[in-house]
This record gives sequence, structure tokens and C-alpha cells, in this order.
Amino acid sequence: MPEKAFNLTREMLDHSFAETVAPDREKLLTCIQCGTCTASCPTAYAMDYTPRQLVRLVQVGMRDEALHSRTFWLCTNCYSCTIRCPRGIALTETMAALKRLAIAEHVEGPEKETVSRFYRAFMETVRRHGRNYEPELLVRYYFSTNPFGLIGQAPLGLMLWRKGRIPVIPKGVKAKEEIEAIFRKSLELDAEKEHRR
Amino acid sequence: MRYTYFPGCSLESTASDYDASARAALRALDGELIELPDWNCCGATGADVLSYLLSIALPARNLAKAQLMGDQIVTTCSSCYLNLFRVNAHLAMDAELQGQLDVVLGEVGLHYDGSMRVRYLLELLVTDIGVKAIARRVQRRLGGLRVAPYYGCLVARPYAEFDGPDLPTSMDRLLTALGATVVPYVMKTRCCGGVLMTTQRDIALKLVGDLLAPVRDVDCVVTVCPLCQLNLEAYQRNVGSRLGERVHVPILYFTQLMGLAFALPEPELKLKANLMGTDRLFSRLGQASAWV
Repeated sequence: MPEKAFNLTREMLDHSFAETVAPDREKLLTCIQCGTCTASCPTAYAMDYTPRQLVRLVQVGMRDEALHSRTFWLCTNCYSCTIRCPRGIALTETMAALKRLAIAEHVEGPEKETVSRFYRAFMETVRRHGRNYEPELLVRYYFSTNPFGLIGQAPLGLMLWRKGRIPVIPKGVKAKEEIEAIFRKSLELDAEKEHRR
Repeated sequence: MRYTYFPGCSLESTASDYDASARAALRALDGELIELPDWNCCGATGADVLSYLLSIALPARNLAKAQLMGDQIVTTCSSCYLNLFRVNAHLAMDAELQGQLDVVLGEVGLHYDGSMRVRYLLELLVTDIGVKAIARRVQRRLGGLRVAPYYGCLVARPYAEFDGPDLPTSMDRLLTALGATVVPYVMKTRCCGGVLMTTQRDIALKLVGDLLAPVRDVDCVVTVCPLCQLNLEAYQRNVGSRLGERVHVPILYFTQLMGLAFALPEPELKLKANLMGTDRLFSRLGQASAWV
């Protein structure tokens, strides 16, 4: 990975960035750059910034550089970094916060295209039924990215269906209005919070 | 003993074999899983990307409903376990969150304050029921069946409530009690890639290749998580072409191996739902197992 140098006196720094993306800002600022997170991360090899480097970007407030990174999109939520960090930084939570912020700010990128659309398809499915339903999730996902991808998934789907591992109709929650109310109110409170900030 | 059971979405679809065998294995030990009525999705890894508050409120609805049935809830899916447990952990850390959750759950006439005990089925089996009681129930020792225990991520991370975060041993002990030979497996808590199997296939295939390469010759890999099971099982042909060698390993749930050792019938174990087939496993069992 080529090293990149930044002159911090010329960069636009956002000093409240750490607060925005880390539930434990104080802890994150104590990062000693030991690299245990990177060494523990199963997908670090495919990232542009390693987890350690990403923490540095957050620490110094290089908001744009961090948000345009592919790093957090490749985070699998395995919590290896979180459990091993000698400073106790909840890095997995920060990766999720970066995903939320990148979506809110419409940051573009190939990884975002697939990962965020998958999550959107997933949450739309859950909002509708109260539970996940794989066939609908995959149709929603592939139609929003690459419809031909669905053909590639068909043999596996058929095999699972023949083995009785795909229900023909989604079971779903009976009290659908409760699920809708929880979605609506959570997103409403989020929007209020965003507005106050 | 009756336990309030939160199956989670996978358990009624791709992991219906896990659901059946979990219920059957516990029944054989005089326990019973009582399904939480009208439960909803825990949010998996998706809710947190849409909204942090939603990622707390969705699992909290289940916890609030389960509270009416007792003081603990049992789950069989690693992602569900994490999300339910996380509600308690975050409520304890963040006073403001309680107020927000009250507003959201108030919309549906529920309240939750973090007091439920969240249990994993594996945890319940090794701690409450105990490995000795399980060993006593064995009718057919899985003598010499060579198995690799794969825990995946979220059983023990980040909360490490009942086992170590890197090299857990609870399932090893349980499988040993069934008479199986547990092979040393350093990759037992390395990630299977999760949803990257759909969104970033190349990366997930590499991760699954890393997991399967050292255990190509075992009789089966044993898992505790529905998504791990599917990722390890369904893409072995692609993994094989990456590794340049044929990969063909059955990936079973630990509850299915319990059922085999307890001599439970196929409809309760659903081994036929396995994509890799279990003929080789059964022929090995025929040679190696011993009826007690």
C-alpha cells in the first residue's frame, strides 16, 4: 500500500469529527497507533486505509479522507479489534457510525454501492414483514445493483428451497403496525437529534 | 426447565435444521424452548447502518415482550445474541439512551430497562445443564469422529460473557462429551465474512478459504451460527477453485451432533437438509460409533 503524506497545516480539519463517529471520543483520542486492530482485522488486507490509519484520520479530524475510505465498508462486524484494543476503543461501533455518516452525506464509492444497498434492501424487507425474508431481500438487493446477479444466486436458492430451507411465503410479524411504529419513531428521533446538531 | 426462546429469522428459513435440532436436543435433556410470541428481527448488522436507535429498539421490543414470560431469553443465532446483549450493555453505559428507548417503545405500549438475562443456547447447555449431564444422555458415542469446532465471531466477542474471545472451549467440551474427537483449530473464531459473501464476494471467499483449508480432512465442521453455517457450506466449490483443491466438508450444527449422539430420529435433526450430504459422515459413524 503506497504511503500517503499529509501536511496537516493545509488540511481542512474537523475537530468535532471524533465526537461525531465515536461513542467514546475520549478513548479514541488515546489511541497509541500500536496496530493491534489492523493485525486482528480479517479484511484489512483489502482496505485502502488500515483500521489503525483510519483511527488516525478520525483523531486528527480528516473527515473527507476518512469518509471516502473503503475501510469501514469492508468491516464485517467481527469485533476482533474491539476486544483486543489495549485502549479499549470500541472501533466496531465507530465503523458503523462512519457507514451512517457516509450514507447521510451521499459519499460515493464502489463498496458503498454494494454494502449500503444490501443493508437498505435488508431493512426495507424487515420493515415490511418484521422479519427477514431471503428471497425478497435478494430480489431487492440485486435489482438495486445488478439484476443479472440474481441469476448467479438462483442455483443456490433452488437447492436451499428443495432442502426445505426457504419458506414459500414469509412468516413475518403479526403486529406489523408495531414494527412500523418502531421504525418511524426511531428515525424521527434521529432526525430531531441531527437537526439540533 | 422451560426457556423463552428467540429463534431469529434464519432459524425459520436457511437454518430450519438448526431450529429443529436445537428444540429436539434440549427436549432430550428435559428442557423445553418456548418460542417468544410474535418476535421480530433483531436488526442483524443492518439496523445499525440505518439508525443507531433502531438497532437498539428492534431487539428491545423482543426483550420487553420476553420480560412478560420470565427473566431470561435464549437464542441460537450469534447475531441475535449480540444484538440482544448489546441492548443491555448500551443501556447500562448511556443514560440518555434509556429516555429515547422509552419514547420509541412507548409507541407500542412496551417498556424495557435492561434487566433481562440474555443467554446463548450453547452457554445454557454447558453451564446450566452441564457437560456431565449431556454425557449421561449419550446413547451412541460418536467415537473417533473427527470434528473441527467453529465458533465464529459473536459468540464470545465483544462481550465474552461465557467463554474466551479468541480461543473458546465450551463447544469443544460439549463435543468431547459426545465422544467425538475435537481437532485443534486455531481459526475457530476467525470471521466467515458475514454479509460480504453477497456484497464483496471475493473477500468473503478468501476468508472462508482460510477457514476451510486447514480442516479439509475432518469428518465435519461444527458451527453455532446460521450465517457461518451457510457461508462455510454453500460456496465450497468456489473456495475449492481458489485453493486449487477440492473442498467437500459437511458443516453441521452442534445440536445436530448432539441429536446423533442422543440417537434422535432424522425428522428432528434434519441432517438431510445439509447441502454437502452426510453419507460419508454416516459411513464413518457406522465404523466408529459405539452404542452405549
